[in-house]
Amino acid sequence: MKRVEKAIFGILIGAILIFVISPFAILLLFSFSAGENLSFPIPGWTLDWFRKLYAQREFWSAFQNSLIVTACVGVISTILGTMAAVGLVRIRRRAGVIFRSTLTLPLMLPPLVLGISFLTYFVTLGVPLDLSTVVVSHVVFTQPIVILIVYAGLENFDESVVHSARDLGASSLQAFFHITLPIIGPTVVGAALISMALSVDDFIITFFTIGGGNTLPTFMWGMLRKGMNPSINVVALTLMAITIGVSIASMRLIRYRG
Amino acid sequence: MILRRHGPWALAAPSALFFLVFFVAPATHLFLTGFWRMRSYALSHEFNLENYAEVFEGYWDSLLFTFAMAFLIACCTTLVAFVFAYGTRFVFPRWSAALLGLILLTLFGGYLTKVYAWKTILGSTGVINSALAMLGLTDQPIDMFLYNPVAVVIALTHYLLPLAILPLYGSLRAIDDETLEAASDLGAGRWRGFRDVVLPQCRTGLIVSFTLTFLFTAGDYVTARLVGGPVTSMMGVFIQNQFGSRFNPPLGAAMSFTVIIFSALVIIVVAFTLNRTLRVR
Repeated sequence: MKRVEKAIFGILIGAILIFVISPFAILLLFSFSAGENLSFPIPGWTLDWFRKLYAQREFWSAFQNSLIVTACVGVISTILGTMAAVGLVRIRRRAGVIFRSTLTLPLMLPPLVLGISFLTYFVTLGVPLDLSTVVVSHVVFTQPIVILIVYAGLENFDESVVHSARDLGASSLQAFFHITLPIIGPTVVGAALISMALSVDDFIITFFTIGGGNTLPTFMWGMLRKGMNPSINVVALTLMAITIGVSIASMRLIRYRG
Repeated sequence: MILRRHGPWALAAPSALFFLVFFVAPATHLFLTGFWRMRSYALSHEFNLENYAEVFEGYWDSLLFTFAMAFLIACCTTLVAFVFAYGTRFVFPRWSAALLGLILLTLFGGYLTKVYAWKTILGSTGVINSALAMLGLTDQPIDMFLYNPVAVVIALTHYLLPLAILPLYGSLRAIDDETLEAASDLGAGRWRGFRDVVLPQCRTGLIVSFTLTFLFTAGDYVTARLVGGPVTSMMGVFIQNQFGSRFNPPLGAAMSFTVIIFSALVIIVVAFTLNRTLRVR
């Protein structure tokens, strides 16, 4: 009985893993294929697609914009979210939970609706669309994630060490920077990195709030609209390398164990 | 003293202020926009219900189609995610860290990237067709893989799967092995244990996974655009058009809130049904 179950689930999980991973493997494979079309048989191997893409000025400007946006989003959403989480755990449990669920509402709206609400809002207020409007709109959906992660980290945190520090004469700020922060630090950095990974990857909201320029996803969208071209694989790969690198780092920091 | 008592609220204040100015205000503004109209390419603040009337008269078929797709994709994704989470938790617990780590990585693998990858796989000169031709199984490319609703189901299930696995695994992990052992000591077979212990305790996970995937699909337009083709008339595509080529934000706003309100209704019904049928007996 046990053996049958193992066999069935082994096959099912294997199939799911293949389904999940094969698109990435195919992207990787065809980034190095010499053929113009993304099809078998592969005529030979080349690095031309990398060379062609990395020679484009537009690519680097999109790359730079992506870095600027994600850095700003990381800093702002981490500061706002951590402060809120530190405050919320100290509020009476019920009120804290209600407040926290309210602040995470932006995660419940489809990105398309968020994007168009920012667009109409900024246009009505006469705010010019540029990278700063992108940063603001990204913080709206990354801040709740920081709050959730840091809040979860703080729930396991033993408040009594802070009380000891306070009894020994530390001010509340001193206690925060010398006791609380070093203990929850890895969680905070992990949350920051997750919000950055989500920001780098966002296409839909950026598309509506960026006005002129490009970030990597909107640059990729522009290429897609012009038709299929193996250089798109290289953009995708570059984007994936950034987000996956960042998220591996974050998982190590918040010690995610499922 | 005042700071001590109000400190926690003061700490949450900047975040709450940001939430009000950049989420509540834009969302409210969009909601109101749905009751206004366009006059010579400018927004005119005259209250009317014509946008909503147009949504129900002109787009009821796309609304139905969108919700059918969202329901189908949410069910597929939640089911596949449950199989994966269940297997990881109960059948291969030793591998759980590795399996989940792998899944979590693909969560961050990129939205556009994933949809694009499916376009290259399913296209008429794409990976599957060229592989079939190379193996001599077909002499003509099969067009039916791409630009249809099935392609959208495949691509979105692929994108949403990691998102659905995490909450499900979370609630399965919370189940005590001892409870299951107790059930089996008292004579419950594997199926009884599954039905009376496992399923009731992972209701929340099932509901969260279903909600996340349903909401995302109901508001998606990128996947429909890239792999769905013209036959896949998802509401998201029409909504996006109202802010692009069609330029009619009031109609787009009315469409958005129609989708959100009906999504909320579907989710409430599904959550209620799951809670009723999977309750502890």
